[in-house]
Amino acid sequence: MGKKYVPFVVLLLISVFLFSGCGKKENTPTPENTPPTENPASGKTESKWTIGMSQCNLGEPWRGQMNEDVRRAAEAYPELKVIFKDAQNDTLKQRAQMEEFISADVDLIIISPKEAAPLTPVVAQAYEAGIPVLVLDRRVLGDQYTCFIGADNKQIGENAGKWIVEKLGGKGKVVELKGLMTSTPGQDRHTGFRKAIEGSQIEIIFEADMKWLEPEARKEMESALARFDQIDLVYAHNDPGAHGAYLAAQAAGREKDIMFVGIDGLAQEGQVYVQQGILNASFEYPTGGKEAIETALKILNGQTVEKEITLPSRTFTK
Amino acid sequence: MAEIKQSSTIRKILTLPGTRAFAALALVFLLGVIFNADGAFYKWGTHRDMFRQVSVYGILACGMTLVIITAGIDLSVGSILGFTAVFFSLTSIHWRWTAWLAIPLCLLAGSVCGGVSGGLIARFKIQPFISTLAMMVFARGLAKYISGGQKISTAMQTADGSYTYVELPSIFNAINSKIFNNNIAVVTIIFLVCLLLCWVLLARLRWGRYLYAIGGNEEAARLSGVPVARMKILAYLLCGFFSAVAGICQAAQEYQGDPEAGVSYELSAIAIVVIGGTSLMGGKGGIGLTLLGALTIGYLEKILSINAVGEASRLMLTGFIIVSAVLFQKSKR
Repeated sequence: MGKKYVPFVVLLLISVFLFSGCGKKENTPTPENTPPTENPASGKTESKWTIGMSQCNLGEPWRGQMNEDVRRAAEAYPELKVIFKDAQNDTLKQRAQMEEFISADVDLIIISPKEAAPLTPVVAQAYEAGIPVLVLDRRVLGDQYTCFIGADNKQIGENAGKWIVEKLGGKGKVVELKGLMTSTPGQDRHTGFRKAIEGSQIEIIFEADMKWLEPEARKEMESALARFDQIDLVYAHNDPGAHGAYLAAQAAGREKDIMFVGIDGLAQEGQVYVQQGILNASFEYPTGGKEAIETALKILNGQTVEKEITLPSRTFTK
Repeated sequence: MAEIKQSSTIRKILTLPGTRAFAALALVFLLGVIFNADGAFYKWGTHRDMFRQVSVYGILACGMTLVIITAGIDLSVGSILGFTAVFFSLTSIHWRWTAWLAIPLCLLAGSVCGGVSGGLIARFKIQPFISTLAMMVFARGLAKYISGGQKISTAMQTADGSYTYVELPSIFNAINSKIFNNNIAVVTIIFLVCLLLCWVLLARLRWGRYLYAIGGNEEAARLSGVPVARMKILAYLLCGFFSAVAGICQAAQEYQGDPEAGVSYELSAIAIVVIGGTSLMGGKGGIGLTLLGALTIGYLEKILSINAVGEASRLMLTGFIIVSAVLFQKSKR
C-alpha cells in the first residue's frame, strides 16, 4: 500500500526543496516595485563582467541587507552582472557554489564565508585559477585571496563602551545582553565593550546570552527587571536584542528610566529604532556591500587594491 | 449513558498521570524557592512574565497534544508559526487590512498548512515525521518568500531603498497588552482559551475519543467504525490552526513578522507535551497534562533566567531536569 506512493513522496520533497530554495534566491535581493535583476539564465549579453556572489546565510536580515547593498551598487553599472547564491548556512553548499563559479569562469567572486578553515582551500583554488576573490565580513586563512573587506567588531564594541561611559558620566548599573557567545562577533563585541568600561565605575549587574534573538532578549530582560529596581542602561550586542529589552521594560512601565544601546544600525532596524526614540544609540556594523562592488570595479579595470579594507562604523543617535 | 461511562474512564486515566505531572512541577517550583534570586522569584511580576513567555510554546503544545494522542508528531508547528507571523504582519501592517479579516485568513492559512500535512498522512500514508518535515521546510520557505527575507515591520522600504514608517495597527498592542489591572497578559488568556477548546474536544466530544482510539490502536479503531483518515486530518488541521494562533501572538509581541520566528519551537512544544506525561506512543494523555508540562518548562526557564545562569550550564541543567522530571513521573507508576 505505502510503496505505491514512494515516487510521489520523493517528487514532493524535491519540489519542496526546490521551491523554498529558489523563492529565497529570487526574492531577497529584489524588493517589490523594482524591475527584477537580470536572470542569469537569460544571459543578457550587454554586461561585460559577471560577478559571482556567494552569501553564507540569507536567513539573517543583516546578510539580506548585504546582498541588497551589493545589488543596489551594481545596478549603477550596466557592465556588471551579479549572480547571487545563498549557501543556507551550510559550509559544504558554499564550497559547491564556489566550485560552480570557478567552472562557470566568472570574472570575479565575492564571498561572505560561513567559516574560515573549510572554505580556505576553495577560495585559494579560485584565486589560483586567476579569478579575483573578494572576501566579505568573515575571514579565510592565509593570503590566497585578492582583498578582505570587513568591519572590526572589537572596535565597535569599544566605541559603544566609550559612548556609554560618557553618557552615564562614568558610573551606573548596566545590563549586557550578549549575542551568541560561541560566535566571534559576540565575543568581540563583549571584549571590546569590557575594555572600554575598564576603570570606570560602571557595574554590569546582569548579563545573559540572548543568542541574537529578540524574544530571548525580552525574556532575559524581564528577569533583570524582576531582580533589579535600578537599571541605568542596557547594552545589547545587536539591535533586535536592544529592542526586545525595550519591549520588556515598556511592559513593566520602566522604559523611561533606562537607556538602550544596540549594534548593527541596519536601515530598517536600528536606524528606525533610534529615530522612533526606542534606542538611544545604535552602532553600525556596515555590510560592505557597496564597497565590495566599488573594489570589484577597480580590480576588473586593472587597478590594484589594498589587501585589507576596514570599514568605518557610523554611530546613530537621536 | 454509554458516553458518560466512557468519558469517566478516560478521566480516570487522566487523573493518575496528572498528579505525577503536578509533582514534577512542584519539584521545579521548589528549585525556584531555593534559588529565588534575591527574592525576585517571590514577585508576582516574575510569575506573570513566565506565564506570558510560555504562552506561545503552550499554544503550540495544545495542537501538538492532539497530534501526539493519535500517535503522530508534527514538526512543522514552528515554521507555520513563522509563516503566519509574517502573513499577519504583511496583511495588517503593510496592506492595512482590518484585524477582522487578517486574523481569520491567518488562521485559515495555518489550518490549510496543517490540513495538507494531515491529508498526506491520512490519504497517502506518508509517515507523520516525513510529511510534517516537508511542511516544516515548505512553510519556512513560504515565510521567506512572502516576506522577501526581511522582517515585516512598521518600516516599509520604498522603491528607491529609503524607508517610510507606518502606524502599528492597534491589534498588535491589544494582543501584547496586559489586562485585569495589568495582572495577566492577553496572550496568556489566549493560551487558556486554546487549552479550554482542546479540553472540550478531548474530554467532551466524540471526536476526542476517536483521537484516543486511533492513537491506542488504529486498526481496531478503523474496524469499529472510527473515520480514521478524517480524524487524523482534523488533528493536523487543528495543530496548524493553533500554530497560526501562536504565530499571531508572536508577531504581536514582537511588533513585527520575522520569517525566522519559531525556529526549533517544535522541540519545545514536544518537550512540554512529553513532560506533562502524554505518551508519544499515542492513546494516552490529556490537555491538562500539557498545561502542567508548560508550567514546568516555563518555571524552569524562568528560574535559570532570573539567576543569570550561563548558557552552557543552562543547557546542561535543562537536559538534566527534563530527564529527572520524566523519571520522577515514571518511578511512581
